[in-house]
Amino acid sequence: MKWFANKERRSFVIQLTLAMILITAAYLIVQNIRDNLADVGIRLSFGFLSGEAGFDVNESLIAYSASDSYARVLLVGFLNTLELSFVCILGSTLIGVIMGIVRAGSNWLGTRLALAYVEVLRNLPKLLILLAVFIVMINRLPTARQAWNLFDGIYISNRAFYYPKLIWDEGMVFVLMGILVCFLVSVFWRRYVKRTQDLTGRQLPVKWPVIGGLLITVLSISLLFNVPYQFSIPVFKGFDFTGGSRLSVQFVALAFTLSIYHGGQITELVRGGIQSVQKGQIEAAASLGLKPSLVTRFVVLPQALRMIIPPMGNQYLNLIKNTSIALAIGYSDLVSVMSTSINQTFRPIELMSITMMTYLAISLLVTALLNWFNFRTKIVTN
Amino acid sequence: MLHPRNDHISSPPVKNLGVLRWIRKNLFRNTFDSIVTICVVLFLAWIVPAVFSWMFLDAVGFNGDEALCRSADGACWPFMREKARLILFGTYPYDQQWRAALACLVVIGLVATLIVKRMKAKWMVLLWAAGAAVFVGLMFGNTMGLPAVQTVKWNGLPVFLLLSVFSLAAAFPLGILLALARHQDDFQLLKNLAAGYIELIRGVPLLMVLFMGLFVLPMIMPRGFFLEPLFAILIALMLFHAAYFAEDIRGGLQTLELGQAEAADSLGLSYWPKVLLIVLPQALKQSLPAIFNTLIGGYKDTSLVIIVGIHDMISTAKMAYSDPGWQRYGLEAYFFVGLWYFGSCWCLSAYGRRLERTRAK
Repeated sequence: MKWFANKERRSFVIQLTLAMILITAAYLIVQNIRDNLADVGIRLSFGFLSGEAGFDVNESLIAYSASDSYARVLLVGFLNTLELSFVCILGSTLIGVIMGIVRAGSNWLGTRLALAYVEVLRNLPKLLILLAVFIVMINRLPTARQAWNLFDGIYISNRAFYYPKLIWDEGMVFVLMGILVCFLVSVFWRRYVKRTQDLTGRQLPVKWPVIGGLLITVLSISLLFNVPYQFSIPVFKGFDFTGGSRLSVQFVALAFTLSIYHGGQITELVRGGIQSVQKGQIEAAASLGLKPSLVTRFVVLPQALRMIIPPMGNQYLNLIKNTSIALAIGYSDLVSVMSTSINQTFRPIELMSITMMTYLAISLLVTALLNWFNFRTKIVTN
Repeated sequence: MLHPRNDHISSPPVKNLGVLRWIRKNLFRNTFDSIVTICVVLFLAWIVPAVFSWMFLDAVGFNGDEALCRSADGACWPFMREKARLILFGTYPYDQQWRAALACLVVIGLVATLIVKRMKAKWMVLLWAAGAAVFVGLMFGNTMGLPAVQTVKWNGLPVFLLLSVFSLAAAFPLGILLALARHQDDFQLLKNLAAGYIELIRGVPLLMVLFMGLFVLPMIMPRGFFLEPLFAILIALMLFHAAYFAEDIRGGLQTLELGQAEAADSLGLSYWPKVLLIVLPQALKQSLPAIFNTLIGGYKDTSLVIIVGIHDMISTAKMAYSDPGWQRYGLEAYFFVGLWYFGSCWCLSAYGRRLERTRAK
């Protein structure tokens, strides 16, 4: 066995064996899949994607009808997943940051309530919260006919939430372009202000010029091109509302549940980040005469954010993956659409590989963004 | 002669502030705190009476009946009395439900043995294997005079415990192996395979892995081999949790000083003694918090199996309020299930904290 005692040789032999076992296993699996599919008379192919889907979705960002193709319905599901993820990321971050600041703060009542919030949500599954929220919304909200009316234009019912929609007009292109220009100018203005302060110590105003410039631009372009700002307001007709936009009650339940669920976890991250800033830092800043708000802005936040951002990115990734529980209450997200398609076509392998690839792509993208952000905020040392 | 004047001597800090000053210090210290206090008080003033009246004031007590519930605004507790057994054991044959209850106790007992310190790994494996055998024997029957109960009739708590506890228990050793495979440089192929597997699983939602288990796993089995959906899901859960455990443990492995492994090498230990005696005990200690996070998350996420048609407790809760006559009481049913989750997760995290305290030394 002296020949085998050589580390490199041994490693090579073992890995070769491993590779052979894997190749055999892969071959057997492919064989089995082919046999099993042959039994039900199906051959692997993606041709079915252009076939008619024939089922409806409860919400879509793009035009869709039941006679569209499977490829299109998958796209609808994908966009719904993105929309839901986007709303939940905003919601959970807002909740998490506010609750995290309260939790790390000095308010006796606030710290305790935030703790209770975090503990309750940590010990309950998101699916249970979702189903409970959904059932409460279905049972307690009024029917569409007796929908609650807020501010004369927003209607809340147990089928959907209806709200006014801005009617698109050609002139709005110019308004949007104006806003974009304002944004670019303000970025350069900020840079200029910072350089002036670094060179001369003079502080030029930032907030008011930017807000004022934006308002003046929007107003003047609107008046110049005579842009009509008209809203389509939902009106109850027959059995449902017409006009305006709607958010299905499923979407609202999902957005609420995932926002509070992940908000609870972000609360803990924010608290950890804030408490990781050493007390001496805050005291030093205060002894320099900085106002409390400036201490928070220039001393606490930059240091806390460096702690918070990496786990926050993971949290967002989890959130995007967790939107798949939409299937439980029948919201048409990517997984839900995939599942219906599988039931109709019995092509689990093709449909699942498409879905898995999509999720993997989203994961890789978010991870790349996160790494880029970490790189940008890294402390530069000599 | 020096006469220290009394007002120069500062008085000791007052411990007892008095109610008003305490309120000022802890609730209205600055503008932000004042806003928070007002918001919290308004929130509590809305939620506490609402929950209280739902649970007690407007509710119908355990001894009431459905007719009383129909006119009440609050919770209907007779629903619990009627349906608790259905939620716990579902459609398992009514006169055989003692078997399901016993099987649950076996699993809970197995988990409880974790509190015993210093159990040898060999005994642990044997104990868990025996526990699993007893569980399946009790539930499935067809031996020792127990009538057979097919898995489609398994519902509720036993199914939930089977899927959560056994998948997590089996995933843990698998996770250790994956972490070790990814944390070495001698076998590049093995390392890349482990890394690819872990990243693949972590990149997709649990629900997708469950669908894979349900649809693809039976398909890669040889012709004529039938895999019960329940066990396909069990395998899928195990494969999913293993990837997460692996990353937690790898985090622990990475914090270890290189000197530890090198010292073991220089003592002439071969790979497995080195890993089992030197590396793993320290790495696991480091990754305890992360492991418990995964454990509790995985335990809770087992509930997702209802989406792929396995009936755990949330599913039986749905069954309970689908019964005509009891259809308005979904919230009560979920409240009951929520109590179970809250209690068991709380116990798990308390155990985790205790373990961190005692093992951290």
